[in-house]
Amino acid sequence: MKTIDIIHDEHRALAAVLQALRFVVNEIRSGKLKADFRLLTAMVDYITQVPEKVHHPKEDNYLFPKLRSRSKQAAELIDILEGQHVAGYRMTVELLQALLHYQSVGAAGFSAFDTLVQQYLDFNWQHLNQEETELLPLAREALSEEDWAGIDAEFSANFDPYAGAEGEFKELFGRIVNMTPAPYGLGPAG
Amino acid sequence: MAELLELENVWAGYGDAVILEDISFRLGEADSLALLGRNGMGKTTLLSTLMGATRFKSGRMTYRGQDLAVVPAHGRAQLGLGWVPQERDIFPSLTVEENLTVVARPGPWHLKRIYDLFPRLEERRANMGNQLSGGEQQMLAMARALMVNPKLLLLDEPLEGLAPLIVQELLRIIGQTVSSGEMAVILVEQHAHQILPLTRQALVLERGRVVFSGESETLRKDRAQLDKWLGVGVH
Repeated sequence: MKTIDIIHDEHRALAAVLQALRFVVNEIRSGKLKADFRLLTAMVDYITQVPEKVHHPKEDNYLFPKLRSRSKQAAELIDILEGQHVAGYRMTVELLQALLHYQSVGAAGFSAFDTLVQQYLDFNWQHLNQEETELLPLAREALSEEDWAGIDAEFSANFDPYAGAEGEFKELFGRIVNMTPAPYGLGPAG
Repeated sequence: MAELLELENVWAGYGDAVILEDISFRLGEADSLALLGRNGMGKTTLLSTLMGATRFKSGRMTYRGQDLAVVPAHGRAQLGLGWVPQERDIFPSLTVEENLTVVARPGPWHLKRIYDLFPRLEERRANMGNQLSGGEQQMLAMARALMVNPKLLLLDEPLEGLAPLIVQELLRIIGQTVSSGEMAVILVEQHAHQILPLTRQALVLERGRVVFSGESETLRKDRAQLDKWLGVGVH
């Protein structure tokens, strides 16, 4: 079940960026850190692009349809998760707009951005948790070895969550690591 | 794959205490091994034994056909063993670049290549070792071990205590190092699910004894045994 390992890997990479985003925004709110818009933009870009271009297409196109055809219980859950994929993308677009606004108007724009970040983090933690604790156990039960072999092959073709299909996200992830202040990243502490 | 390291029925420990009992495994040139087990099961002691920092009681330990047990600790680095201990042991009063160059040996790993792999270290090249964050220190410790151009790299819990963002970046770098095929790697970690995908072989220790020795992929699929031996709450 390489698919499950890959989903876990991609969730871990996303969760690492989300955790760092929460840290940075909390530090800005408490006045310990000055906003670094290059870092915030890189983070929002990562959490928009990687789910949309790397992670969700594999789930939506390969895992979900097969699992939907094998389990009624899973089909109901998949409806919810697919809806969350769409909603999550919309939220990241709003997040990017709020970030641009924050960058344009300065401190006055932080509150709206902060609110959207917190909403997105809550939403996404719940989504990741639902996939980890509900979807994957159901998939393990419902799918046959043959099913997994087919899904594994598709997932393996686009494996690296840090690089993306063309290696385009490797540099982005590295920049986020280098710019995020210690101890969450390698950048200078605030 | 030509053989690099072979341990046969090795017993070792500290003073009179025996920690490792009857350890056997083989590692090829450019091979990779995940060394797993709960805390206190002997993983670090096994690495220390390879580096000559424990009391070797009995058994056979050969490196490229040479009896490693009779080589003094300081001679093992010269043979090509590179060790990144948990404590990192970087020199606090030297700059990042001095930390790297002071240990350098000829080979495919040189300063430019290290800086390509760890761009953050290049940015911090003039900073003293004690001015680095924990994540930067871990990167420097790894980079320094690579500058020795080892044939066998021993990494002892390189991800311990680091934030998830840095863990992910280090995993990527370790994966690149393993797949470069330029050295063999033994990787000690608590988090099996993160390192089994990077290594070809796995060895699980329980109370100083080997309870699993085989392919990482086989162990990765065996959730019940992983739970039993490592209690990792595997997915």
